[in-house]
Amino acid sequence: MNFDLTSDQKMLQDQVRKFAQTELAPLAPEIDKSGEFPWPSLKKMAKLGLLGVIVPEKYGGSGFDFVSLAIAIEEISRACASTGVIVAVNNSLTTYPILEFSSEELKKKYLPQLCSGEKIGAFGLTEPNAGSDVAAMESTARLEGDHYIVNGTKRFITNGGEAGIYVVFAYTNRDLKHKGISAFVVERDTPGFSVGKHEDLMGIRATANCELMFEDVKVPKENLLGKEGDGFKICMNTLDVSRIDIGAQAVGIAQAALDEAVRYSKERKAFGQPICNFEMIEALIAEMATEIQAARLLVHYAGFCKDKGMQKFSKEAAMSKYYASDIAVDVTRKAVQIHGGYGYSKEYAVERLYRDAKILELYEGTSEIQKIVIARELTR
Amino acid sequence: MDLIVCLKRVPQTAEAEVQIGPSGKEIVRDRLTFDMNEADSYALEEAILLKEKFGGTITVISLGLPDAEDTLRIALAKGADHAIRIKAEDFGELDGFKTASLLKDALVNVKFDVLLTGCVATDDSLYQVGPVLAELLGAPHATLVGKIEIAGEKAHVNRELEGGLIEHLEMSLPAVFAVQTGINEPRYASLIAIRRAAGKEIKLLGKDDIPSEHRVNSTLEKLFVPPAGKRAEIMTGTADEVSARTASLIKEKGLI
Amino acid sequence: MADILALVEHRQGAVRDVTFELLTCGRKMAGTLNAKLTGVVLGHKTDDLVARVRNHAHRLIVMDSEVFENFNAETYQHALVKIIEREHPYLSLFANTAFGIDLCPALATQMGYPFTTDCIGVEIVDGQVRATRQLYDGKLDAQVRLTAADSYMLTMRSGACPAEGSDLTAEVERIETLVASQPEYRKFIEYIEAAVGDVDITKADVIVGVGRGIKEQANMPMIEELAKALGGVVACSRPVVDANWLTKDRQVGSSGKTVKPKLYIAIGISGAFQHIAGMKSSDTIIAINKDPNAPIFNEADYGIVDDLFKVVPVLKNKILELKK
Ligand SMILES: Cc1cc2nc3c(=O)[nH]c(=O)nc-3n(C[C@H](O)[C@H](O)[C@H](O)COP(=O)(O)OP(=O)(O)OC[C@H]3O[C@@H](n4cnc5c(N)ncnc54)[C@H](O)[C@@H]3O)c2cc1C
Ligand SMILES: Cc1cc2nc3c(=O)[nH]c(=O)nc-3n(C[C@H](O)[C@H](O)[C@H](O)COP(=O)(O)OP(=O)(O)OC[C@H]3O[C@@H](n4cnc5c(N)ncnc54)[C@H](O)[C@@H]3O)c2cc1C
Repeated sequence: MNFDLTSDQKMLQDQVRKFAQTELAPLAPEIDKSGEFPWPSLKKMAKLGLLGVIVPEKYGGSGFDFVSLAIAIEEISRACASTGVIVAVNNSLTTYPILEFSSEELKKKYLPQLCSGEKIGAFGLTEPNAGSDVAAMESTARLEGDHYIVNGTKRFITNGGEAGIYVVFAYTNRDLKHKGISAFVVERDTPGFSVGKHEDLMGIRATANCELMFEDVKVPKENLLGKEGDGFKICMNTLDVSRIDIGAQAVGIAQAALDEAVRYSKERKAFGQPICNFEMIEALIAEMATEIQAARLLVHYAGFCKDKGMQKFSKEAAMSKYYASDIAVDVTRKAVQIHGGYGYSKEYAVERLYRDAKILELYEGTSEIQKIVIARELTR
Repeated sequence: MDLIVCLKRVPQTAEAEVQIGPSGKEIVRDRLTFDMNEADSYALEEAILLKEKFGGTITVISLGLPDAEDTLRIALAKGADHAIRIKAEDFGELDGFKTASLLKDALVNVKFDVLLTGCVATDDSLYQVGPVLAELLGAPHATLVGKIEIAGEKAHVNRELEGGLIEHLEMSLPAVFAVQTGINEPRYASLIAIRRAAGKEIKLLGKDDIPSEHRVNSTLEKLFVPPAGKRAEIMTGTADEVSARTASLIKEKGLI
Repeated sequence: MADILALVEHRQGAVRDVTFELLTCGRKMAGTLNAKLTGVVLGHKTDDLVARVRNHAHRLIVMDSEVFENFNAETYQHALVKIIEREHPYLSLFANTAFGIDLCPALATQMGYPFTTDCIGVEIVDGQVRATRQLYDGKLDAQVRLTAADSYMLTMRSGACPAEGSDLTAEVERIETLVASQPEYRKFIEYIEAAVGDVDITKADVIVGVGRGIKEQANMPMIEELAKALGGVVACSRPVVDANWLTKDRQVGSSGKTVKPKLYIAIGISGAFQHIAGMKSSDTIIAINKDPNAPIFNEADYGIVDDLFKVVPVLKNKILELKK
C-alpha cells in the first residue's frame, strides 16, 4: 500500500500545475464570458504532450498511465474547467478508443494529429432523442462498397464546433438493438458532414459544444472501430475510462473553489473578525476539504484499477465520477455561500465554478446512470 | 560545450506570510511552498539554450535537503543530463562562502566551459555563490548577466547595471556567469521528457565524499520582523468605498 | 586599530550617488572606532573624481590609469588586493551595486577575509562585525556576525545609510598603478545605453506602476485605462519586463528608471527594495496589494489591502466621475 505519487507523476503534477496556473487560469474568466475555444492554449499543451497523455510515444503521445492523466486533468480543470474537459475529451474519448479499438493504420493516421494539436477530437454519441438511453439513437450507417454512408444528428457534442476528428456511433443494424451499433472515425471535411447549432451553455462555456449533422456522409470502411456491432461495447469501455477523468475534472473544480473560499474567508471581516473564525464557516471548509480528498482518492483508485489491467472497473470508475461530481457541486455551492453576496457576482471566480460544476452530474452518464452501474454490479 | 548549473530550492515568499520558528534562527517551513529559485530557472534555461545550439552536456548541482532532488529532477526533465545533490543535512550551518566552497569541492573534477548560477537567491539575498565559486575554481566571472553570446573561445556578455545601462564584456571560456532574471523565457518540461528523467540517477555527495573542513564567513544570530517604518494609512471598506476615498484624495492633491 | 576603507564608485566620469552613502557609513564607523576613513579611487583622469569626494574622507588613495577608466571587476580586484595588503584596513566597504557585487565576493575570497553582502546595517560588537541583512523578499531581517578575523569586507545596500555632508579635506596619496592592462579573459568593451521608448516615464506627473500581481498580459488594459483616466503613464516592476509585457524603458527601480512623480500608484507590486529605490521620492505613493504584509506598505502614504482586479476598475470609474 502506497499513496505516494511516483517520481514522474510528481513532476507531471508540478509542471502541469505551473503551466495551468500561469497560462490557463488567467484566461478562464475571459473564455467563460466570450465562449471562445482556447486554441492558443491547446497548441501550447500539445507541445507539452498533454493532448496525448496515454498515447505511446510511437504515435506521438507521452506514454503515461491513467492515474497520470487524471492528475493532469485535475490540474488543468483547477485552472480552467472548459479547458479541462476539452483536453479530457481529446484524451480519453478520442485517442483512447482509437488506440484501443482501431487498426494499426488508423492509429498511425489519427493519433499523431490528435497528439500534436493539429486536430482536436470529439465524441459523438448523444442525439436529440437518445441521451441516457444510448440504444434509442437514430443515426445509421450502411455499407456501400468501400464506404459506410452515415446519416443522423448528434447533439451536445463537446469540441464539436472545432474538432477535426470525430468518434461517432450509429446503427449498422437496427434489428440487433444495442448489438447493432457501430463506431466510426469521421473526419470533419468529409462531404455531407456539417456543424449545427452552437449551445449557449450554463457553464464550461468555451467548449464549442455543437450539434453535428450527417447527411449521406461517406466514411471509408477502414474507419470502422472494432467490428460491426462492437459500438456499444466500445462506447461503454471508453466511458469507463473517461469517467475517471470527469472525476478528476470535478476534483480540480472543487479544489479551485476551496482555494478561493479559504482565501476569502481569511480576508473578509464581519462582526469585527475574519469570517474564517466562525465555527459554521470552519465546518464548511472542513467538509469541503474532506470531500475533495475522498473524491481524489476514489479517482486515483479508479485510475489505478485501469493501470493495473483490471478487466472490469466500471464500478470503480462510476463511483469516482458520481461521488466527485456530487461533491464538486456541493463544494462549489459552499464556496459561493462562504462568499456571501459576492459569491453570486461575476467578479468572483466561485460564481463561474458553481456554474461549471453542474455539468459534472450530467455528461458522460448522469449521476442516476452512475448509480445504476454501481448498483447493478452489486445486485446482478 | 560542457555546462554546469547551480540550482537552489527556495521558499516562495513573495505572497506568503513568513513566520520565525522556535529557535529564532529559522523560518516555519511547513506552510510554505518551495520551488527553484527564480534567477536559477533562467540560468537553467540559458544552459539548455546553449546546449541546443552547441551540443554538449549539462550537469545540475544543488546543495540542499532531500526535497532539492525534486528540483534537480525537474531540471533533468527540462534538459539537464546529470544531477548532483550535496547533502545539506551533512554540513551544518551554511553561508554563501561555505556553499560555494562545497560546490567547488563537488565540481572540482567536472569539466566545464560555462558554469551558470542565478545572480541572487530570493531567500538569503546574498549575490555571492557565483562569483565566490568562480574565484575558488580560478575562472573569470560576470554577475547580473542579461545576455550571453558565444563565438569560439570567447563569450560576449552583457551585464545589467543600475538605471538600465548595460556593460558589454568580452570574456574567455571557461567562465562563470551569474544570470539575471528576464534573460530568456524558461520552458516547462514536456511529459515525455519528464518520463525519461524519472529514472535518472541523482548522485549524492555527503560528508564522506567532501571531508575537508569548510569555514563560514558569517553566522546567523537571529531573525526578526523588520521594524515598521513609516506605515501607509490603510483605507478600509468595500472596493467602492476605498476607491471613492482614493479618487477624492487624488482630486484634493489637484491631480484631476 | 586599523582604518576603514571604502571604494569610490564612478561611472562614465561621474561619482555615483551611492558612494556618498558609503562614505557616510564609513565615516560613522571610523568615528566609533576612533579610526580614519580612506577612500579608494581607481580611475583615469581622476582630478574631478578626487575633487568630488575629497571632503568626504580623511584620506584618498588614488590610482590613475587608462586601465581604470571603466569598471572591470578583474582589474579592480588586482589593484585592491595590492592596496588592501598594504593598508591592511579593519573593514573594507563596497556598495551593493552591480559593480560592488561583481567585485567584493571574489576579492574577499581571494584574500581570505570574512565578508557579507547587501547589508542594511552594520555595527561593531566586541571587536567583531555584526551586520543586518534582509531575507525572504524583505519580510524578515537577519542579524549576522562575521567570523572573527583581522580584516572584514561588506557590501552595503544603497539607501541603507543616507548620505550626509562632510567638510573633511582628505590627504591625497597617488600611488603607482600596479595593473598594466585588462586581462584577456575579461575585457570591458562598451556601455550600451538603455533603449529609449515612446514615453519618458521620468517626466510624468502621475505614474501607475504595475507588478507581477497583474498575472497576465491580457490584464494590462485595465491598468492602461486607469492611467488614462488619471492622465498619467504606465510603468512597472521588473518581472513585468522579464515577462515581456512592457518594454524595459517602463521599468522603475535600481536596474530601471528613477522617477519622482507627484503621484505613484503601485498595483500588485510587493515593494522589493530594488523597486522602492526607483520611486521612493514620489510626492504621494498609493499602494494596492492583497497581502497586508507586503513591504510596499512601509513605503506608501496610503494603502488599499484588496484584490487589484476588484479595486482598479472601480477606482477608474470614480476618477472619471470626479473629472466630470
Ligand atoms: C455540456 C454538455 C456536454 C456534453 N458533451 C457530450 C459529448 O461530448 N458527447 C456526447 O455524446 N454527449 C455529450 N453530452 C450529452 C450528455 O452525455 C447527455 O446529456 C447525458 O448523457 C444525458 O442525456 P439526456 O440529456 O438526453 O438526458 P435524459 O437521458 O433524457 O435524462 C433526463 C433525466 O432522466 C434521468 N434518467 C434517464 N434514464 C434513467 C433511468 N433509467 N433511471 C433513472 N433516471 C434516469 C437522467 O439521469 C436525467 O436526470 C453533453 C451534454 C452537455 C450538457
Ligand atoms: C540586481 C537586481 C536588480 C533589480 N532591479 C529591479 C528594478 O529595477 N525594479 C524592480 O521592480 N525590481 C527589480 N529587481 C527585482 C526585485 O528584487 C523584485 O523581484 C521585484 O521588484 C518584484 O516585483 P513585483 O513586486 O512586481 O513582484 P512580486 O514580488 O512577485 O510581488 C507581487 C505582488 O503582487 C501582489 N498581488 C498578487 N496578486 C494580487 C491581486 N490580485 N491583487 C492585489 N495584489 C496582488 C502580491 O501580494 C505581491 O505583493 C531587481 C532584482 C535584482 C536582483
